[in-house]
Amino acid sequence: MIGRVLATELLPASPQQFHFWTAIDTAIGIGAIVRVDGADRTAYGVVLDARAYSDLAAPLHDVVASEGDPAAAAPPTRRTEIRLWTAAVLRHEPEEPLQPVPLAAVRLASPDDVTVALRMDAYVRGAAPTAIPVGLYAAGGMRAPVFLDADFLLGPESAHLNINGVSGLATKTSAMMFLLNAVFQHFPAAKGRIAAVCFNVKGPDLCFLDQAADLTTQDGEMYAALDVRPEPFGRVRLFAPFKPDGVNLNTLRSHAALTDAVEPLVWGLREVLDYSEVLLNRDDIDAKADAFLDFLADRVVGKAFTDEWGTHHRVESFADLERLFRAIFDGLEAAGGRDMWRTHHVATIRKVRNRLMNISTRCKGLVTDDTTGSDLPFGAFEDRAVYVVDVAGVDQLGQDLVFTRVVSKLREHLERRDLGVEFVVVFVDELNKYAPADGPETYVRKMLLDISERGRYLGLVLFGAQQFRSQVHRRVVGNAGTTVYGRMDMDELATPGYQILSPATKSKLATLPKGELMVRHPHFTQPVFVRFPRPAALAGRQGVERFPPEADVPFADAVVRQLTALDRRVAPSRVKDLIAGRREEDVRRALLATRRARPQDVLAFFAAGLGAAVRREPVAERPAAVTPIRHVDDPYAP
Amino acid sequence: MREALARAGGTAARGTVRRFAPQPVAKPFARSRVVEGSAIAALDVGAPVPAPEGVGFVDGIQQYVVDGHIGLTPVVRAYVDAAVLERRAGVLHCAARAGDEFLVVPGARLAARQRDALEAIGLPLRDSDPGPRAHPLVDLWAATQVIEQRRTACEIAAARDFLAARPGAWLFVDGGVSGLARLAGAGRAVGIVKEHETQFLDGPDLEVALTLPAGSRSSVFARSGGGAETHSWYLRLWPWPEEDLLHGLTRIERLAGAVTPAEAHMVSRWLLAERTPIAAPDQRWDRLIYPMHEVETYLRAHAGGWS
Repeated sequence: MIGRVLATELLPASPQQFHFWTAIDTAIGIGAIVRVDGADRTAYGVVLDARAYSDLAAPLHDVVASEGDPAAAAPPTRRTEIRLWTAAVLRHEPEEPLQPVPLAAVRLASPDDVTVALRMDAYVRGAAPTAIPVGLYAAGGMRAPVFLDADFLLGPESAHLNINGVSGLATKTSAMMFLLNAVFQHFPAAKGRIAAVCFNVKGPDLCFLDQAADLTTQDGEMYAALDVRPEPFGRVRLFAPFKPDGVNLNTLRSHAALTDAVEPLVWGLREVLDYSEVLLNRDDIDAKADAFLDFLADRVVGKAFTDEWGTHHRVESFADLERLFRAIFDGLEAAGGRDMWRTHHVATIRKVRNRLMNISTRCKGLVTDDTTGSDLPFGAFEDRAVYVVDVAGVDQLGQDLVFTRVVSKLREHLERRDLGVEFVVVFVDELNKYAPADGPETYVRKMLLDISERGRYLGLVLFGAQQFRSQVHRRVVGNAGTTVYGRMDMDELATPGYQILSPATKSKLATLPKGELMVRHPHFTQPVFVRFPRPAALAGRQGVERFPPEADVPFADAVVRQLTALDRRVAPSRVKDLIAGRREEDVRRALLATRRARPQDVLAFFAAGLGAAVRREPVAERPAAVTPIRHVDDPYAP
Repeated sequence: MREALARAGGTAARGTVRRFAPQPVAKPFARSRVVEGSAIAALDVGAPVPAPEGVGFVDGIQQYVVDGHIGLTPVVRAYVDAAVLERRAGVLHCAARAGDEFLVVPGARLAARQRDALEAIGLPLRDSDPGPRAHPLVDLWAATQVIEQRRTACEIAAARDFLAARPGAWLFVDGGVSGLARLAGAGRAVGIVKEHETQFLDGPDLEVALTLPAGSRSSVFARSGGGAETHSWYLRLWPWPEEDLLHGLTRIERLAGAVTPAEAHMVSRWLLAERTPIAAPDQRWDRLIYPMHEVETYLRAHAGGWS
């Protein structure tokens, strides 16, 4: 027994809250779960607030007693003190009739009590448990695993998870990776196959998920207590666009020992055109631009098209498209400066052309002139696999495009039930950037709202993270069935969204140590604090220390590196001989095709992709066409 | 007025407005003899020193209610409780306790049938002085005499248990110590008397005693008559100027033969250390030491809503 429930007229016990006192040196604290056994009912509660006071009636009495000297000798008798705790009820047994908490002895909850108090018994036990461990609850030297309900974390009952906390201290990414690992290990196979798509938006955060981290003994004990194997993710595929040179991958996972696991993310005109809305800002979105984009998509791209001036086009790439635009502008110019082409105003055509061409410039490396790109394996997703999309080095426009297209494709395939898995967790960090609480309506935000509100029916689950929840669209965070809080900023805690938390809980959140989180879940009537071990997968910072990124290499060396990553038998000198004198676009195209096909004979396939070499013809130097200006004695001449 | 008092060699008081005459003092004077020196002197006891570890504090409480009357005879139900709180590492713990709940009636006025009816309640029946005839106030006063006696008996019982269980431990008593004279170890009992209805000194001795500066004690004097002989000295805990003569003034009492001048100094220094924490807001805070206040609080908490 650790305390007794007390009730006065001013501090009564109610069905939802009660107060109790304990010894001064009690082991419990804010967040502790306690049990009160009455004659005919048991109540479980979580400590929300605490107060201590003595019988000192007025501060002045202390001054008088010490004769004004705070450094006076310590009093021989300690004043009588109280530790008064306020707890919110988690559960009553029996649930009906709902009555005030009995005025009885208070005990620290045992692990079994924690299961009952948090209503986890409904999904931890039984024939088809759906429990996903999220962390260890600890109080008074006792530890108990805390589980989330897969039906409420991944759907269909509720879904989505949002994690919140200050950078560097809240351990948001670590928590997310631990939880994802727990999901992969505990999600019931009977419920379906599951995969994760993680957008790496900063640094090397998610680049080493397949590498084992160094864990401490304490971590090992926590893993054992949570029944999670301390292993990195078994199936990880990392996708990254190229750098502008088109051969060096734009990722911090560029150490020679790891590059074979990085695949290029490259898209052609068709992929970009389907998501052209992302590229258009609010002012651009008008019926005219839409109509012209539709015209391009329906009538031009990927089809034989002949313009009014008799030129035949087959637009497969950005270069082809640019040729078409050039032909239109030249044709209109030649026609006496006409300003309409096929009902589209030349200004609209110019605007659309600028936006589309802009992406090929700003996202060079992501967008290719080739007709086919290299993409995530939509339709062939594997169970318990993580697909990391590394867009950390891509500018905001490119990140928006990648995010929108990948999520749209996931959604399309999940709707058709042909993705390869039934559930996909999409992890997005810096959610405040993609779904801000205010600011213009963007295509990305609309998409995130759509996932938040309808994704659970499809198996498309959003695991979002951000520093400040108040800065994320409230429908996005509001639809997250499970919310996790790490160390919080006091300014953020002062915002209206946290009014339901007690001052002591806020204070605890503001000083939460690394590795400790507060979790809200539909089954928990109050937030619960848990500790979790460090993720078994290598964190980004340790990853770049263990596998330092390599500097960009010259074009030929980069090609060699990529081909040898596919097949170690490839002789670098042979590759260099093959590409000598070739146009870089041709080499890139052949390289991409080889990577995509992953043939048995890499070098032969690559050579075939290059095609026959075109011999360079020497061109005779022509005499200067313009006669040099004769020297004049002009002091102002340049 | 303050200046006039100063010019006359007097001391100004706070000047609290009073509206009622004080109760008459039953026994205003008693005899004594000085046993430390030839006359009462003011002696500086030096800096406060905490009392030894394991010191006890004994006090008692009483509560009563007039449950009814049989004819004109009041039927009083009483609750008394006493405890010794022992101090270890600055924390008080109950070391001994004695209490009682009983009925008080002037039994001589009751018929056997009436007495039987009261005894059937199951509480002990104690007789009070029936007096020559019925008087509502005198009857009640007689009942409270019985209650106080019983409370004192409980205090003595608790003190006896403590002194027996803790050989060598000092015991501070709320009030005099003459009632403990027969207890083994009573020489370790120190009485703290807060009331000064009876004055044992006279003339210059009394003036010295009642104008002691804070942190000083008077010479030890022997009080005789009314039980075992005790030795006493006055100790000023808090300054009295700006208050009144009795502010912060306590009379320390020990059984005769148990005190030496050196011990009187030592005990006085212990008590000076007890000025903190202060027992405020109790109105007797200037003379009531905090541990004794805590004994009262402890006992009242146990009494709860007794009625």
